[in-house]
Amino acid sequence: MTPTIAYQINRLLRGSVPFAVTMLLALLSVVPTGINGFDIVTPAFVSISVFYWSIHRPYLMSAPLVFLLGIFSDFLTGAPLGLSSLMLLAVHGIALSQRRIFIGKSFLLTWWGYFLVAFVIAMLSWIVACLYSLTFIPLMPVMTQFILSLLVFPFFAWGFGMLQNNLLRHT
Amino acid sequence: MAPRQGIAIRLAWPLKTIFQRFAFVALIVLSIALLFLGKANIGVIEGLRTTTTDVMTPVLATISQPVDAFNSAVNKVQKLTDIVEENARLREENARLLKWQAVGRALSQENENYRQLLNALSDPLVLPITARVVGDSGGPFVRTLLLNAGRDDGIRVGQAVVGPLGLVGRIAETGTRSSRALLLTDLNSRIPAVLEKSRHKGILVGDNSASPTLEFLPNNAIVVPGDRIVTSGDGGMLPAGRPIGIVASVTERAIRVQTFTDWSRLEYVSVLRYDLPGMSSPDENPGDLGESRLDDK
Repeated sequence: MTPTIAYQINRLLRGSVPFAVTMLLALLSVVPTGINGFDIVTPAFVSISVFYWSIHRPYLMSAPLVFLLGIFSDFLTGAPLGLSSLMLLAVHGIALSQRRIFIGKSFLLTWWGYFLVAFVIAMLSWIVACLYSLTFIPLMPVMTQFILSLLVFPFFAWGFGMLQNNLLRHT
Repeated sequence: MAPRQGIAIRLAWPLKTIFQRFAFVALIVLSIALLFLGKANIGVIEGLRTTTTDVMTPVLATISQPVDAFNSAVNKVQKLTDIVEENARLREENARLLKWQAVGRALSQENENYRQLLNALSDPLVLPITARVVGDSGGPFVRTLLLNAGRDDGIRVGQAVVGPLGLVGRIAETGTRSSRALLLTDLNSRIPAVLEKSRHKGILVGDNSASPTLEFLPNNAIVVPGDRIVTSGDGGMLPAGRPIGIVASVTERAIRVQTFTDWSRLEYVSVLRYDLPGMSSPDENPGDLGESRLDDK
């Protein structure tokens, strides 16, 4: 009763969708937009994606994958190596431990959950970055990024929901 | 799926959970370790970083093309709306600049004559390499640009990066086909600068805000808002006299500088290959034309 190879490849490809989408979002977040100041406050697309998939498909967004995504975005942005992976792992850990609260509940609750997680992560990453460079880094851009991420969260959650319903229904 | 699970799998299930917990903690520890290791500039990590950017630069260049096309289309439409006023303004400016051109020519000739009289050495040749900006910092903690030209194109760490209006920053990392420029607004940026009029020298220090500060000026230096600031060329890595910006505000605590560069509209930048004979090592900064690709054509 071993499934056919075609079926397994199909399953594998579908299963890699959350990871591939998050990779693409990491790339998109460094593309220059030409909007004044946007490069500094680009919403944390990757953290939104990691949060969403950690709740809805935790086995497709496992800790090693989250770690790799963090390293990848640190390489791309030139940020201190390990900063993103540490923060994304924290997002993953919190989302995973609280997923029972979010599953099957209203979207507003998920949004509220992301608000709390993103706020903690913004403050934590700011503190780590300040310690890393041993200076006081302006807090304003970090907070702006947090608010923008919060505002775009519903659009991404909607998009991920579509992906989940169409491609990942049975995985 | 549950009925098919054997005894072995049922026994392995708690083990798997323990393993996952362990992996999670181990990865967090690894991330923290990487943060510490990153401070030490370890070769392997640097290599991995530049390899990643080398591989990803063509992808980013492709993704950013439609964005650029869209932006230039929007710009075109915006320009169309005030084309008449723009034309009138440009005519006026052209008339004024023609007068300046006559003055400039006369001064440059005069300068040349004086140089010959004094037998003064002229500055070495500066060769610009123009590269496309394919990535920005994408976050609040660093101010960098990713360029689609690297060591193969003659770019070396430390070279100056200039935009159409003024200095942008310096090269911080190079891969074979990509490089990373550290903007002069970044926390780690230090640029030797000079006040154009009074010739007092200082260091332009970035602090991740939009306007860097000018520090280490002599105590007797007189600075007023509006003073132009250019590169001083101290240290021999940057050519002297490149425009940086103007003094925006002078307070007790800091002298803030408004840069000339429009940070949101950097599509192409020039990396300056510059070599002071005898001062910089050719391996680190090959400013001579011998290695350049321009000769081959």
